[in-house]
Amino acid sequence: MNEEALIHDAQAGSLDAFNALVLHYQDTVFNTALRILGDEDLASDATQEAFLSAFRSIASFRGGSFKAWLMRTVTNACYDELRRQKRRPSVPLEPETDDGEEMDSPRWLADPNMSPEQKAEADEVEHAIQHCLNNLPVEFKTVVIMADIQGMDYSEVAIAVRAPLGTIKSRLARARLRLRECLQGFSELLPATFRLEEGTST
Amino acid sequence: MNQRDLELLSSYLDGQLKPSDSARLEARLSSDPNLRAVMDDLREARSLLRRMPSRKAPRNFTLTRKMVGQNPPMPRAYPAFRFVTSLATLLLFFTLGLNFVAPQLASQAPAYGQGGGGGDPEIFAAEVPATEASAATEAPAAPSAELVPLPTATLLAEDSGRIAETPAEKNGLSDESDEFAQSDAAQAQNAVPFVPSAWQIALAGIALIGVLLMLVMRQLAINRWRQK
Repeated sequence: MNEEALIHDAQAGSLDAFNALVLHYQDTVFNTALRILGDEDLASDATQEAFLSAFRSIASFRGGSFKAWLMRTVTNACYDELRRQKRRPSVPLEPETDDGEEMDSPRWLADPNMSPEQKAEADEVEHAIQHCLNNLPVEFKTVVIMADIQGMDYSEVAIAVRAPLGTIKSRLARARLRLRECLQGFSELLPATFRLEEGTST
Repeated sequence: MNQRDLELLSSYLDGQLKPSDSARLEARLSSDPNLRAVMDDLREARSLLRRMPSRKAPRNFTLTRKMVGQNPPMPRAYPAFRFVTSLATLLLFFTLGLNFVAPQLASQAPAYGQGGGGGDPEIFAAEVPATEASAATEAPAAPSAELVPLPTATLLAEDSGRIAETPAEKNGLSDESDEFAQSDAAQAQNAVPFVPSAWQIALAGIALIGVLLMLVMRQLAINRWRQK
């Protein structure tokens, strides 16, 4: 796939060229939306909205990483969806104390009073991680999803979320730490290979 | 653990530190177990996230031309055809409307006359001189016998009948009623079969041909557009 040529044609109005880009990136965009929103249907809607928005504004793409540019579009679509959810909340996005204040640490997930339904829902590693992701502030969540799940480098993430590199580093470090704390509540669910994982620091 | 050290550790894991900063951090890690513990936590979280299974998109998210509001480019003659077809359709409906409304307006005009004559015949009859009564008694029989099937004629017949019951009647009144009844009957007979005029046929033809041509032009344009 000659991405540059396809982008050029899409900027000239070719829907076929743009659809070739859609087919190439749709898994990445959908996965990002899924991890940010934590719901397949909402992620599908956000993905479609992101591609539609990307086609309408592709003339504003001035080169560089197309993936990062596309990620910015899907991030915006997800933020719009989260704002809509906030106006019509069904479940709290952040755990709260009895005083109505947000908990600093999401260790509440290790609560032994957790219902069997909640336990069952978090019965897999993926669900556990998604559960913990859902409880991160959205700006932390977006950065950690792009850097660690999508494997984007810092500069791409910076473009996607329109934030300086220093901010990206800070958010990523804090997001990783908070996720680790959260995941300790699911330690019995995590495979031994994961618990004993030795990272490959470069 | 301060924020600065946390960022250093996280960036170190991603290989984003300068060699000099990396060397300094590695020296600290070898001597600080707390720093090493945090480093392990970060590494573990990072590793778990990187092993998250990637889901396939549940469907294709390709865009359709309808979704993006794109329309195929139409031939230059298309707007002219659209204008002519619209105009012909408009005129056709206008003339058809006139055909429908005109007989009703025509039938309403004499109805006012009937109301005056038939609405209150007793009062009118009271003013009629008694000397003409004999002529009036013969008059109602003719219209009532002629116009039985028509509702307006029935009304006239009833009115005339009531007039006939009065002792005095003006001969001219029954003549007038007779004329109204006859004209109504003629209009009613004319209104039943609708014969379109040549203009209406021509307008309908133009509108029909215009619509067909526009559909063909549109389909050809879409086919050409899809082949590109």
